[in-house]
Amino acid sequence: MTLPQEPAAPSSGTRQRPTFLPSDVDPTVFDEAFLRQLERLLLLMRSPVGGGLKGGRRSVKRGQSVEFADYRDYALGDDLRQLDWNVLARLEKLFVKLFIEEEDVTITILVDSSVSMASGTPDKLQFAKRAAAALGYIGLASEDKVAVSVLGGRTARRRASLRGSGRVLRLLAELSAIQAAEGPTDLVAAARHAAAQLTGRGVVILISDLLDPAADRVIRELASTRSELIVLHVLSPQELDPPLEGDLRLVDSETGASVDVTADLATIDAYQARLADWKAAFAHLAARRAATYVDLSSDVPLNDLVFAELRRRRVLG
Amino acid sequence: MPFATPLALLGLLFVPAVVAMYLLKLRRTETIIPSTLLWQRLAADTEANAPWQKLRRSLLFLVQLLLVAALALLAARPFIERPAGLARDLVVIVDTSASMAATDVQPDRLGEAKAAAIEALRDLPAGGKVSVIEAGRTARIVATGTSDLSRVRQAIEGIRPTVNRGDLGDALALAQQLAIQSGDAQVLVATDAALAVPPTTKVDAPIKVLRVGDPKGSRNQAIVAVAIRTTGSGVSSSAFVSVANFDLERATRQVEVWGDDRLIESKSITIEPQAKADVVIDNIGDTDHPVGVVDVRLTTPAGADGRPDLLATDDRAWAIVPPVRQRNILIVGPGDPYLETALSYLPNSRLFGLTPAEYPSGAVRKDGTEWDLIIFEGDVPATLPSVPVLAIAPSRSSPLGEVSGTLRDPGIGTLGTDEPILRYVDLSTTHIASAQKLELPAWARTVIPGPKGAPLLYAGLRAGLPTAVLAFEPRESDLPLQVAFPILLANLTGELFGGSAAPTTAVKPGDPVALAIPAGAVGLRVTAPDGRSVDLIPGATGGTSVTYAQTDQLGVYTATPIAQPASSGSPDASRVPSATPSSPPGDRPPGASGGLGQGVDPTAPIRFAVDLFDVDESAIAPGSASALEALGRATASAAPGATAVPGAADPAAGRPNARDELWPPIVLLILVVLSVEWALYHRDAVTRAWRAIAGRLRRPVRGDA
Repeated sequence: MTLPQEPAAPSSGTRQRPTFLPSDVDPTVFDEAFLRQLERLLLLMRSPVGGGLKGGRRSVKRGQSVEFADYRDYALGDDLRQLDWNVLARLEKLFVKLFIEEEDVTITILVDSSVSMASGTPDKLQFAKRAAAALGYIGLASEDKVAVSVLGGRTARRRASLRGSGRVLRLLAELSAIQAAEGPTDLVAAARHAAAQLTGRGVVILISDLLDPAADRVIRELASTRSELIVLHVLSPQELDPPLEGDLRLVDSETGASVDVTADLATIDAYQARLADWKAAFAHLAARRAATYVDLSSDVPLNDLVFAELRRRRVLG
Repeated sequence: MPFATPLALLGLLFVPAVVAMYLLKLRRTETIIPSTLLWQRLAADTEANAPWQKLRRSLLFLVQLLLVAALALLAARPFIERPAGLARDLVVIVDTSASMAATDVQPDRLGEAKAAAIEALRDLPAGGKVSVIEAGRTARIVATGTSDLSRVRQAIEGIRPTVNRGDLGDALALAQQLAIQSGDAQVLVATDAALAVPPTTKVDAPIKVLRVGDPKGSRNQAIVAVAIRTTGSGVSSSAFVSVANFDLERATRQVEVWGDDRLIESKSITIEPQAKADVVIDNIGDTDHPVGVVDVRLTTPAGADGRPDLLATDDRAWAIVPPVRQRNILIVGPGDPYLETALSYLPNSRLFGLTPAEYPSGAVRKDGTEWDLIIFEGDVPATLPSVPVLAIAPSRSSPLGEVSGTLRDPGIGTLGTDEPILRYVDLSTTHIASAQKLELPAWARTVIPGPKGAPLLYAGLRAGLPTAVLAFEPRESDLPLQVAFPILLANLTGELFGGSAAPTTAVKPGDPVALAIPAGAVGLRVTAPDGRSVDLIPGATGGTSVTYAQTDQLGVYTATPIAQPASSGSPDASRVPSATPSSPPGDRPPGASGGLGQGVDPTAPIRFAVDLFDVDESAIAPGSASALEALGRATASAAPGATAVPGAADPAAGRPNARDELWPPIVLLILVVLSVEWALYHRDAVTRAWRAIAGRLRRPVRGDA
């Protein structure tokens, strides 16, 4: 299979907009061929869901799918079409066949829009929006409900749930409208707010750089909900291997705080060791909380993210 | 540890400056990053590991402190002392004679002599003064009484080899003048002791000889003479080459004779030890194929023992082939068979005769050219021709001389030994019956003196024309019956002809050369073998010759006449003070008139050759140093059993010690510290580069796996 190429970033205003995209959708997010590829994927859940509307996922309820689940005695008022006529003929007893019910789930994608997400090359927020669009489209194609919630400041701005693959352009439009927040972001408060907005079981996908002193509490808050938590930890290449050298005063883009550093090789090595420990702590915490933790670099091509990295982590199937 | 310049230790004051620079707060570059979260944690870790971090960072600091201290130490010039081996005032004589170019040691003897002299300076006491004398053909001081050893070394290094005959006596005399001013002096002679002229000058100071050269280094063959002779017919010339073997073994060499850069002949010769071999090359040029310059080269034949000799300077020689030209001599007079017979034996000469009555019409040849020489027998015309003239027994007074009477049986006075006209002429048995009594004119010099100051033969330049007057007729003496007569006539006509304005024999290197200026020229432009040229203009107007003294290269020199400018302005050329308007008899080149109007091209270049031809310099076997050292004052250590003179102070008693400065290990230390400092400063870049290389090397391995 030949994977489609990721569309290049618009270099100038003369670039022709794809005709299949509405005007409010960032044309740099996807092209049509890539959307077709996404239709073949499905967001995997570790346990059956107890949902609302009939959907494409196994439910804890017995329903009317084609997959047999169990027998039970016939009770007055049961649908006679569910009687197992073969058993009646053999045993002269009335049994009703029970089938596994297939229901939909709500996939909530939390996009961190803090100032720190607007940094890096490639831009982390841009990467987050494209990853959210990919995962959201997969959810829509799986007849799941998809809701996007933007974490910024101390709140989470939750958009309306979308259902059906026909709403993908609406999803893309909503993601295109996400801008970096102004001022500092309290990621814990925003996550708590987002958790409060969750209803029922589902899947929560957090896409963030987790550059918050209490980022571990964010994972705890979200993991404590009834939804399954997937954390996509996005860092830019410049954060993974800082190209710094000399005597520097590092200024926080979000808070304005500064740190004096002599960036020699030993310091960079120590930073990277600290970074590895930091990410390992998140991975350990996520494992303890039955969440999935995926650390990513913003320069990972979306093809590799969707078709390789997330499948390898059993996020997609 | 003592220091030569202890004040330089003040440079250690830079140590606090370095410390201060480390203590001062750095001016940091502000860089905006997404979050300082991880860096704050890192800063906390750094605080926790502060001792290690400080130690690691202070390594560069310590290295820089060490560097400052080492630089201050270097500037202070620490030294250690030891007893001096030389006197306080040292005179270094470096022999630059031709034999010092021998290559029995590398690079040559002069190079080894200079190295030995420089090495010997280590034993100079502190504050000692050094004078350096270059001993070539004459002595030359290249450094005078300086304690700046770097200047002394520079002066010694600047000494260049010469091709001259060395004269250490002149250098020792100069050293004596320098040493006599000091109470503690010593003379150091760097030489191969192969002395062409053994010096006899005594020096009132100890002499130490630094002898250079291989004691067995005598392997040298040299061209010791080259002569060009024109055959009797005057048609062609032959080259006579004499080659000497100064080695103790028989040698085979190839003699190549080149004429105007064309190989004429090559001969292989075998020369016995300490012997000479002569080679004659005939027909090196004729009237159809004239050769101007003969270049003789001594080479090692292929297939022989293959050992080239050790001195290349004397393996090449040059000679100028004199132009072959017929001379026309007119004899005006009744005719003297003795005279005519003797003149008829002169090569390349034709005789013509006229009576005095016929002379006025024959003063000029029928073809309009001038005579090369007119000989007047007895009668002298009132108007003298503008050509060289020889008057024999003039009957009356004329511009050639005043006749005051007749001498009977005049005796011949004391003859000058350096008179070129009398060369090989023996007049001891000559008797003269009668001669004209003449007064010596102002323009002439006496060649054969007679009684009471009356000259019997005189010669000189009369109005720029060679002129000679013989006071007696040959037949009035027994001179024509003696072998001296044709020789005297040959010498006399040779001077009157003038011949070539250039020296006819090879010039020794360094010898001045008197060059006649052709008529119509204001000077000469002399071009040396290396292409350098110098303009020689006589110091006084009307000068007929100049002296060229820069003959310090072997080879052929070319003097081109500088034509008279159209305007009267003086030419823009370097004037040579040694140029003389009229030369004394001994220095006057023969026939300096140049013979204008006698068929000689006035613009033709004059060439002469400078050749070594010095048997003493070609004998390169190093000599004994003891003879040289014996010329100096004996030292106490050199004279066993010598007792100190009562009351005489030992000059070595108050002599300071010699100093060995310790800069080499300090410089080495500084270089090492600098390297370490560089490595520390760039250790990140080096580590990154190493990681990149290691990463690239590991990548293919993974791919293969």
